[in-house]
Amino acid sequence: MQSWAGTGSACPPSLHAMPRASSPPLFPAIAIDDGGARIELKGALGVRTLPELEASLKRRPPKGKSRALDLSGVTELDTPGALFLCDLRKGGATLTGIRPEHQALLELVGGLDLKPLPKQQPVPHWRRLVIELGKGADGAWDDTSDILTFVGRAINAIGRALVHWRALRLPSISRHIEETGIRALPIIGLMAVMIAVVIGYQSVAQLRPYGAEDFTINLVAVSVLREMGVLITAIMVAGRSGSAFTAEIGVMKAREEVDALQVMGVEPMEVLVVPRLIGLIIALPLLTFFADVMGLLGGAMISKALLDVSLLQYLDHVRHAADVHDLFVGLVKAPVFAFFIGIIGCMHGLRVRGSAGSVGDETTRAVVKAIFLVIVLDALFSVLFEKLGI
Amino acid sequence: MTARVRDRAEPILSARGIVNRFGRQEVHDRIGLDVLPGEIIGIAGGSGSGKSVLLKTLTGLHRPNAGDVRVNAMKIDTIGPAEKASLIGVLFQQGALFSSLSVAQNIMLPLREHTALREEQQEEIAAMKLELAGMSAETGIKSPSQLSGGMVKRAALARALALDPRILFLDEPTSDLDPLTASGIDTLIQKLNRSLGVTVVIVTHDLTTLFTICHRVAMLVDKKLRIDTLDKLMRSDQPWIHEFLHGPRAQGAMTARKQSHGNG
Repeated sequence: MQSWAGTGSACPPSLHAMPRASSPPLFPAIAIDDGGARIELKGALGVRTLPELEASLKRRPPKGKSRALDLSGVTELDTPGALFLCDLRKGGATLTGIRPEHQALLELVGGLDLKPLPKQQPVPHWRRLVIELGKGADGAWDDTSDILTFVGRAINAIGRALVHWRALRLPSISRHIEETGIRALPIIGLMAVMIAVVIGYQSVAQLRPYGAEDFTINLVAVSVLREMGVLITAIMVAGRSGSAFTAEIGVMKAREEVDALQVMGVEPMEVLVVPRLIGLIIALPLLTFFADVMGLLGGAMISKALLDVSLLQYLDHVRHAADVHDLFVGLVKAPVFAFFIGIIGCMHGLRVRGSAGSVGDETTRAVVKAIFLVIVLDALFSVLFEKLGI
Repeated sequence: MTARVRDRAEPILSARGIVNRFGRQEVHDRIGLDVLPGEIIGIAGGSGSGKSVLLKTLTGLHRPNAGDVRVNAMKIDTIGPAEKASLIGVLFQQGALFSSLSVAQNIMLPLREHTALREEQQEEIAAMKLELAGMSAETGIKSPSQLSGGMVKRAALARALALDPRILFLDEPTSDLDPLTASGIDTLIQKLNRSLGVTVVIVTHDLTTLFTICHRVAMLVDKKLRIDTLDKLMRSDQPWIHEFLHGPRAQGAMTARKQSHGNG
């Protein structure tokens, strides 16, 4: 073993004032020996044995005015134990037989100027309700104005990128199309097939009593083309890519990378936001078209299984049930959804402040808000198309 | 005195034949270390020399490829969680205070998990630990994000002390701190070591910490650990150790050592 003899003043001064033996049992118990007026404590007095000791002392109320504790049998003492003894001493108890190695600790703890932890003033329930309501309203107002401002900034940045060809970062855009589009193909294809199967089953069950089960194909084709294809795709992309935007930009923001860009005279809007937005606006309509195709394929599967309609018959039926209008109604919504999903994702990423924890918070908010917005916009589109008679 | 203690004391922490490998890269090659109860030992080494891995190995957070670590003569991976909590306390480099809890709740967490103490007692103990770590009880109500760098270290130290552990592991306790705050932390470590008798293992490359408060220094060089008193290491002819302890930054630390040891 290496020695530290000869270190002179550097030798550990604590060794001769060690309050505890070097290897005592770890979960010791305290034994109380009640010798008449005097209580004798034995064993280890520490944070683990304290509750037990306290309970035993309570069962033996002091005889006379004050009690005396004999500590000569205490083998171990830690700071909570010392604190307890100091409290007893303050309460009028006399401590005797303190071992020299425990004396130092008792003095240390007794000498601390202990104040109780401050308590938080409890806020009454009704006031908390009002406060939360006010905070919520304020937050909603801030959010709305932030989104509007960010939409303005983003449109400005996109416009400038389109005018100044150099500011349009094509490699970056193509990378984002790959990330948000191509990599989402398998999951979105699967979801579209599943949704068509679900709609198909429900329709057959409802229409069969009227002998109209052939209209299942109409229902599946129209709902997939007009609503389900684009909605499922947008929700999936909001969860998948919207959150990725927030997390990527948020981490860059937390690590001051965004500030670094700004200092170097590179506009974060231009390099971080515009390529993501353009990439998503290109990718989402393509994904929607893919989802439409897969949805119709799911419809074909369900028709074969439940109605015994062959693929050719099915296609013929679809041609009569739905037309290009329905496809167009679905596809025209996609870039709008894409724009807002991207806006929300990027905005929340840039909102990240300091810590890594804030990245998680902002990501959650971004996903919830993006999905909410997609559904609200879809409802608005429905009203609009109804009024326009499309 | 020293000699008598040395004969008697069993190492409270001992590592034997530690080998750590990541892929083909070997970080530690059969490292051994004995820490005696009550001493402050500093582990130093260059960036990327495996100091943090060594600390993780000693605290049982990382299982080495070979060798074993014993705390209080028990193998570290056989010690139960509650027992381990009362044996070792760790101050992580960034403090690792739970951000969802207040400072006082952070300190009370191990007490709540491992003892049957009443809430008021836990609070009283938390206030005492804060005081021991050189902070006022009012700080207890704050959330970790409201604390400055030095305060975070002190709060994390108070939490590491919650169950009065035998060994305190400190990972870079003075990093990211201004010199004044850093010396405050140094003094605090020394004070806790003297008053509570807690054994301290410090991983650091802060030369002042190594020079002023460590009883022995372990240098991690070329996958090996050289453990000795600073005076002997200063005379070492190993080029890296010589460079490390005699470089331009070491001069200031040497002055600090003379000052602190002169006063002490």
